[in-house]
Parts: sequence; structure tokens; C-alpha cells
Amino acid sequence: MEKILNVIRQRHSRSGFNGLGERLRLLLLGREADKGLIFRLFIYVLLIETAYLYLNPIFYMMSTMVKGLPDLLDPTVNWIPKTIYWGHLKEAWTSLNYPVSFSISAALSIGASLLQLIACAMAGYAFAKLNFPFKKFWLACLIFTFIIPPQVTVLPLILMYREVGWVDTYLPMIIPTLFGHGLKGALYVIIYRQFFSVLPKELEEAAKMDGASMYRVFFKVMLPIAKPAIVVVFLFSFVWNWNDSYSPMMFLFKLQDVPLSVALVKATAAATTEDGQIFAQSIEMAKSFLSVMPPLVLYIFTQRWFVEGVERTGLVE
Amino acid sequence: MSSWIRMRNTFTQRYEGIMLILPWIIGFLLFVSFPLFYSLYMSFHSVRITGNGILHEFVGWKYYSNILFQDGGVFYDQLLPFLRQILFMIPIIVIFSFMIAIMLNQKFFGRGLFRAVFFLPVIFSSGNVIQRFLSQGKGQLGFLEQYSISTTLSEYLPNSWSTPIVAVLNSFVLILWYSGVQILLFLAGRQTISSSVYEAARIDGANPWEVFWKITLPAMMPFVLLNTVYTVVDLFTFPGNPIIASVNPTQYGPTSALIWVYFLIILLTLGLAFLLLGRAARGTTYKR
Repeated sequence: MEKILNVIRQRHSRSGFNGLGERLRLLLLGREADKGLIFRLFIYVLLIETAYLYLNPIFYMMSTMVKGLPDLLDPTVNWIPKTIYWGHLKEAWTSLNYPVSFSISAALSIGASLLQLIACAMAGYAFAKLNFPFKKFWLACLIFTFIIPPQVTVLPLILMYREVGWVDTYLPMIIPTLFGHGLKGALYVIIYRQFFSVLPKELEEAAKMDGASMYRVFFKVMLPIAKPAIVVVFLFSFVWNWNDSYSPMMFLFKLQDVPLSVALVKATAAATTEDGQIFAQSIEMAKSFLSVMPPLVLYIFTQRWFVEGVERTGLVE
Repeated sequence: MSSWIRMRNTFTQRYEGIMLILPWIIGFLLFVSFPLFYSLYMSFHSVRITGNGILHEFVGWKYYSNILFQDGGVFYDQLLPFLRQILFMIPIIVIFSFMIAIMLNQKFFGRGLFRAVFFLPVIFSSGNVIQRFLSQGKGQLGFLEQYSISTTLSEYLPNSWSTPIVAVLNSFVLILWYSGVQILLFLAGRQTISSSVYEAARIDGANPWEVFWKITLPAMMPFVLLNTVYTVVDLFTFPGNPIIASVNPTQYGPTSALIWVYFLIILLTLGLAFLLLGRAARGTTYKR
């Protein structure tokens, strides 16, 4: 017994301090960048810090919109109001004409995103897997479409839509999506192209061997596999179409019933003239909240698939 | 018979994509290429809308010379400061999203929550809500005000540079908000580096610092380029940009000329990004 202990003691003293230091170093720094304790701690601090910075405006929005007059005037109330006051939300609700503009926004963005989801998938699949004449040329056009700012083409489009009588209708927001264009359509085609191009060739070959037509292969085999890409495209498309105020502002001149994003801009212009300055911020924040709430709710429910989808699409070139 | 089948096969081989791509091509011609050329055409013409239709009158380079040499109000007073601002915003966004993506890629407790937080701005940053935050000064970093960095900057720098820098600092948090999509792209890009590369490096005795500079960064260079391109495209169309405000459907000719100047600047910026980053992206030995 004594002998064994001696051996252990000897061994310990030989590696001694060095070994302990080594182990401590391993524990703190880790074998790899992401394994050490210090690094972990550092990451947490950094992430929490940035997350706070990030969320700060959102917290501000939430807290300001429910502050009533006493809370707004009370300097001791910073983040959490003493009483929750719903008046600002009610006012924002009426000034945005919420039920109407909400329905328009919902119809427009759901319609546009569903169409983009299918039309862009068709184009993306063709770019990834099929042959057609001048494919390289069209691919260059696709990338070009991606980098053209909408402002370049908006004036001719206004003239064009005026000729066919689409101005002051919702068609300019919907028809281009039918063809796989519309708001950021090129980006979605690129996402799908990337997703389909990494799929193994055998998959479609097997289907073709069984005598399926190209259409069948696409709708019955490829589209169902593309779920991760679909989730990503749908969410992006929905959110961006929902928030877009640019094209509705350009194409809807006289229309009374406008999407929420436009109502938000117009309501601000009206509010600055009337009303006391004290409430202005609260009402602004209440309006902002009302207009981002629907995509926010959607995001909260789909966020998990969304993140997974992004990783699995290999959303990249 | 067999030759007919072969011919039919080569035909389907060559043209089978046409049915799926045709809608996109039609859309491209209708909604992209036609408006694009028409807008170029309009920028050289005075456009008037009359009862009998649209009248075009050739004016040559008049609008361009107006924008660049004579009037210049929008171009020099609004566009150039905005461009200087963007010059700072691009690296901030790209570097920030790169760092966040590397951090979010680690496996740690609460990762899903953090991911959800960092993608949240995707929802906010595309809309007008961000304008409301900006107008209420909600994008500022507290400590910058404490040390009055803005006033120091404007003392030491010429006005044309200090104004955009101060503008960037004043909306710093919201600039970070523009990195939602970029974080996603970087995260997806990080997944393409296989873990065996890291294992091999560890066996060879590389420390974390070396691993980052020798493996992670070079392999991510294509994504840095991609994200720079995305950021440029995104920033140039973001709400509150002076050009967007000056597009009005009453002056077709002059506005088209302005937009084309703007578009050329975007192309120039993208070209610059490719020049600076393209070689680094191509030079990586790592192949996916």
C-alpha cells in the first residue's frame, strides 16, 4: 500500500505543477476555440450584451406604447409602467383603419408569397437541374435581376400599368409574382437553385425511369423534398411583402383602402400636426407594434423550422 | 425509328427545362428587361403624358449633365453623404454578422433562443418601423453619448466625413439590425466546412487562433463576398435613402437619369467589392 502511494506521489511530483497547469489550461482554454470555459463565458457575455442592444428598441416599443399620461410624466418610470394604458393602442387601431388594412395586407402578402413559393421554385429547379437554350445567359439575367434596385424599373412600370389599367389596383403586386418575379423574386430563385443543385441526380432519374414526366417529377418528387427551402422562401417572402410600402405607394395613387405598411406612413403624416407631443411617441410605437405584430407572431411559430431550413438549404453559392 | 427516338431524346434533353423556365423568362422580359431599357430610354428624353398617349422628345445628355454638373442638389448634397455613410455601414454589418454567426455556430445552452433573437430584425428591418425607431433616436449606443464622441469627431474631421460617421454612430444598433439575413447566410456557410478539417488541424497541433485564421476565415471568404454583395444591394434600396424619396412619378426623364446614375454607382460598388474580395474568395485552397 505504502509503495503504491509512493509511486503515485512520485509520479505526481514529476509531472507536478506542470500537469495541473496543463489541465487548468485545457479547462479554461479548451482543446478547440469553442471548448474552453473562458471562451464560453466570453461568448455568453458577448451574446447577452449584443442581444440586449439588439432588442432594446423592441423593448422600448413595447413599454412606451402602454404608458399612460402619469407614467410618461413620471421620471421614475423608465421601463415598466405602473399601470398599463391601452388608449394608445386603441387610437393607433383606428388611425391605421386596422381591420381593413390588415385584411388587405394579409391577402396581398399571403397571395404574393404563395405564388412566389411555387413560381420561383419552378425557375430555381430549371436553373439547377434542367437544360434549356441560353441557360448561361438567363442565369446572368437572374443575377442581374437580383442587383437591380426596384427604383430603376418603377417609373416605366407605372407607365406600363397605367396603359393596361392596373394602377390603383392590387394587380401590380400580384401579377409579377405569378412569373417568379415580384419583390426580391430573384433571391428566392437563387435560394431554390442552390437547394436543388445539391440534390443527387439519381432521385429524378429514378422517377423518370418510371415514366414520370418532367412536370410530375417536379410537383410530385422535387417540390415535396424542398420543404426546408419552401419554409425559408415563404417566411422571407411573407415578411418582406408585408413590410413593403414602396411598390404599394408607387402603384396605388387614389385608393382609399391601402395595405398596413402604407397606412403606417400616411397615418404618421397626419399625426404630426395634431395631438400633444407627449403622446406622439407612444402612439407611434403602438402603430409600429400593430403593423409588425402579424409577421412577428408568424415568426415566433415558424422560427424553429426557419432556422433549420436555412441550414439545410445551404442557402449559398 | 430508333433514330427518331434518339432525336426525341436529345430534344427533351436539350429543351425539357423550357416549360418550367418559360414563365420566368416571360416575366423577366415584361417586368425587368423592358422597364430597364425603357427607363434608360426615358433618361435621354423629355416625357410628357397627354390625352393621346405618351410623348417623347429627345434631349440627349441634358438630364445627366444637369445632375452631375449644374444643379447637383440631390447628387452632391444627398447622395454622396449617403454613400459615405454606406461605406462605413457595409464593413460594420459584414464583420458583425460574421462574428455573431461564428458565435451562434458553437454548441451551447440556449443557442436556439439566441438564434431566434438575432434573426428577429429580419422582420423589423425591412419595413417602415425602423424609420420610427430612427426618428426617436432608438438606435444610439449609450456610451457614445457619454463620452461625446460625436462632437470630438466633428472637431477633428472635415465636415463631409464627420457627418456620415456621426450618422452611422447615431443609428448603430439599427445598422446591426440590417445583419439578420447576413447572419443566416454565414451560418449556412459555416455548415459547409466539414468538421474533419478541424479535427485534422487539431491533431497537427494548431491552436484555436490559428484554426480561425487558417481554416475558418479562408473557407468563409466566398460567403464574405456573397454577404457584401447582399448588403450592398440591401442598403441601396433601404427605406430612408434619399434617392427613393426623390423618385416621383411626375418627372419621368430627369428622375430616370438620376436613377441610372445611382444604378451605375451601385454597379461600381459591387465591382469594387468583387475586386477587393473576389481574389481572396477564389484563392482559397478549400473546395466544397
